Amino acid sequence: MNELAKELAGRYGARGWHDIRKDLASVEVDAIRIRDVMAYLRDEAGYGHLSFMTAIDNIERGAFTLSYALRDHDARRGLIVHADVDRAEPTVDSIHLLWGQAWTYQREMREWFGIDFPGSPRVDEEFVLEGWEGPPMMRRDFDSLAYSDATYAERPGRVTHDPASHMREKLYPEAAQ
Amino acid sequence: MDIKDFIAPFAVWKRAFEKPFTVKKPIDERPGAPRYRGFHMNDADACVGCGTCEAICMNNAIDLVPAAGREAKDGDSGLRPRIDYGRCCWCALCVDICPSGSLSMSNEYVWIDRDPDVFRYVPGVEAKPWDGSALGYRRAEGYRLLDEDRVPMPELGHAEAVASFLELVRGYSRAQAEKEADRCVSCGLCIASCPAHMDIPGYIKAVRDGDMDEGLRLLYETNPFPEACGRVCTHRCEEACSIGSGGDPVAIRWLKRYIADQVELSDYAKALPRGAAPSGKKVAIVGAGPGGLSAAYYLSMQGHAVTVFEAEEAAGGMLRYGIPEYRLPYPALDKDIGYIESLGVSISRGVSIGKDIELSKLRTDFDAVYLSTGLPVAYGLEVPGEDHPRVLDGVAVLARATRGEELGLGGRVAVIGGGNVAMDAARTALRHGATVDILYRRREEDMPADADEVREAKAEGARLVEKAIPLEVRDAPDAAGEAALFIWNEATMVQKEPGKRPVPEPIPGAVREGRYDSIIAAIGQGPDLSFIAESDGVPVKRFRPVVDSFGMATRAAGGAPVFAGGDLVNDRKDAISAIADGHRAAIGIDRLLYGKGA
Ligand SMILES: Cc1cc2nc3c(=O)[nH]c(=O)nc-3n(C[C@H](O)[C@H](O)[C@H](O)COP(=O)(O)OP(=O)(O)OC[C@H]3O[C@@H](n4cnc5c(N)ncnc54)[C@H](O)[C@@H]3O)c2cc1C
Ligand code: SF4
Repeated sequence: MNELAKELAGRYGARGWHDIRKDLASVEVDAIRIRDVMAYLRDEAGYGHLSFMTAIDNIERGAFTLSYALRDHDARRGLIVHADVDRAEPTVDSIHLLWGQAWTYQREMREWFGIDFPGSPRVDEEFVLEGWEGPPMMRRDFDSLAYSDATYAERPGRVTHDPASHMREKLYPEAAQ
Repeated sequence: MDIKDFIAPFAVWKRAFEKPFTVKKPIDERPGAPRYRGFHMNDADACVGCGTCEAICMNNAIDLVPAAGREAKDGDSGLRPRIDYGRCCWCALCVDICPSGSLSMSNEYVWIDRDPDVFRYVPGVEAKPWDGSALGYRRAEGYRLLDEDRVPMPELGHAEAVASFLELVRGYSRAQAEKEADRCVSCGLCIASCPAHMDIPGYIKAVRDGDMDEGLRLLYETNPFPEACGRVCTHRCEEACSIGSGGDPVAIRWLKRYIADQVELSDYAKALPRGAAPSGKKVAIVGAGPGGLSAAYYLSMQGHAVTVFEAEEAAGGMLRYGIPEYRLPYPALDKDIGYIESLGVSISRGVSIGKDIELSKLRTDFDAVYLSTGLPVAYGLEVPGEDHPRVLDGVAVLARATRGEELGLGGRVAVIGGGNVAMDAARTALRHGATVDILYRRREEDMPADADEVREAKAEGARLVEKAIPLEVRDAPDAAGEAALFIWNEATMVQKEPGKRPVPEPIPGAVREGRYDSIIAAIGQGPDLSFIAESDGVPVKRFRPVVDSFGMATRAAGGAPVFAGGDLVNDRKDAISAIADGHRAAIGIDRLLYGKGA
């Protein structure tokens, strides 16, 4: 493993190699190098399979962290590659030419986080949110309450009680005067 | 059109009779994954109805509704969450935050019905097929959004504590107070349990916001003794705290103290409201304990001229003459009293009603009278030899300590009793260098004293003798009245009636004795009603004035109406209840003086 860590560091400036388990590690790279790193891992390092891709909204540091989970079936080990992309301008190279299924994940991330993958097939089409008009809903600054209040009608018959006022009414009503 | 288009369907049909490549799997049952987030479940008995789930839900999916068969009571609003699945996004934040840990989710997610209104129900109250399911989402072990642990209070070590009368509890720093205040979820369950119904979530928020003036203002709305109560209150609120249902309750009492400690007395007037314009009415108050002075504060805020008559040389009642200074230092008490006096309340010290002035005279000279004379008479041991010169009364010992008099307790002291007075007397004797035995007729867990007080007394070196029924006090051999033998019978606890608390029964023959230089009786106190004459018209039943819901005892002709409260009247017999009684009486008197309640 350490050979690979060194190799990735030397070739692509990869850093932060972390052994999560005996058979699973993670590493960080710059987003600009993602396609090169992925091609190298697939063709030279044995990680032939893209298990899945996802993103994390690290709003505190102004970044989306893309996560690519790769697997080397022969060696029975996995590697997760992380890459931060600027939250204000989230655009990343598509890897659909390396793994065909990647475009599906990229379309999902486009819809849920608003991350663009130029050239990825059908990337701008609706994925699961039919008729969605709000901002990307997996962004942590998406206010789901404000959105649902503005978008959906309140169902009739809803009523709530504040515990403190309810207890005053039931237990010491004289104090209400 | 290509010929292939005609043949293709038949080519497909041909395959229909071949062995399939896929595995056949019935699709009638599709169980959720073990930790799937499905429909909610709630352990309605463990739930306290605090509404923290409702507050955190980002989708407004939860309402708190009265649950059939559940009444509001101390520490339980009687409400339970109802989930609207038209809004729930199954995020499980409600489960993650739930202070009591009662809320969870089953892994059931299939539910079909034509009536959209059924998808809104009260889990744990309206029965559902998935109730009690072992699978589904639970908060992971050790994962907490709320902090279960209270910020520890800096205190003197036990060895250092018994060596002096320094205040034991040092108080929070700003960082500590704000961190502790952050643990509060503002549910307000505590308010009902506080006898004065203080706005606890409000003043805790003020601590969080660093706004001490606002905090002080909120404290004084219901309690003009925040320095004292911030130290010695019986803090029933903390027993009701919803955070306590799954961890340490919020340190409400210490946060109250923190606010009062932060503001200098000279700055109080800036933060607190001004009184109403003078009403021209005069009110007399008998007793300058917390109850009498609380009434004085609120009456003077209403614009009435208040005179308080106090038999002792100093004001404060049992807060001064009972509670020792290591729990409530005099400067803290003086600050509370000082602010009340600064509003123009006049306290006539050293004036005893019934001796120096008659109650009937107050009824003629004033427009209303409030009695808050407390319980000054100590109960005796009621065994042969109880009037032995070495048998002392606990409250009197504490009062002498307050006055700075020599106590002369000697080296070996027995304290008889299990209440707070007993613990205070024992710990005072320890500070005077004595070895102390506390003898109590029941078990430690039956003691009426605060568990903290008992723990501290033991930690400071007092020895606890449980199940000791007093039999007799005798002169110690060769002591000539300088020491005494305390003789008791060891008892065993007997469950006489189911559901009642067990009673101590003497074990035949198990008679023990100890030789002591002083025996401090701390069995309890009663009132002294000798200053009330028949002609004052104050109804008395079982040694207590009988009062209405505003504390009024009489409006009999021949003088001003008389109100009463505090230890003299209520069952709780603690400072905050006396304070609440005083406030309530002030409202009652104000209504009467303005004809509002007539
Ligand atoms: C040792 C001890 C420890 C305690 N610890 C706690 C505690 O930790 N927490 C807590 O909440 N409570 C505690 N209490 C109880 C608390 O002190 C009382 O509940 C509270 O002081 C009651 O207030 P009050 O105004 O009703 O009466 P008091 O505080 O008893 O005040 C009555 C006042 O009236 C005066 N008075 C009486 N008769 C006359 C008269 N005829 N003329 C003029 N003045 C008169 C008395 O001198 C006294 O100053 C303790 C009590 C004792 C004795
Ligand atoms: S699961 Fe989430 S959305 Fe549903 S009720 Fe709980 S907090 Fe609200």
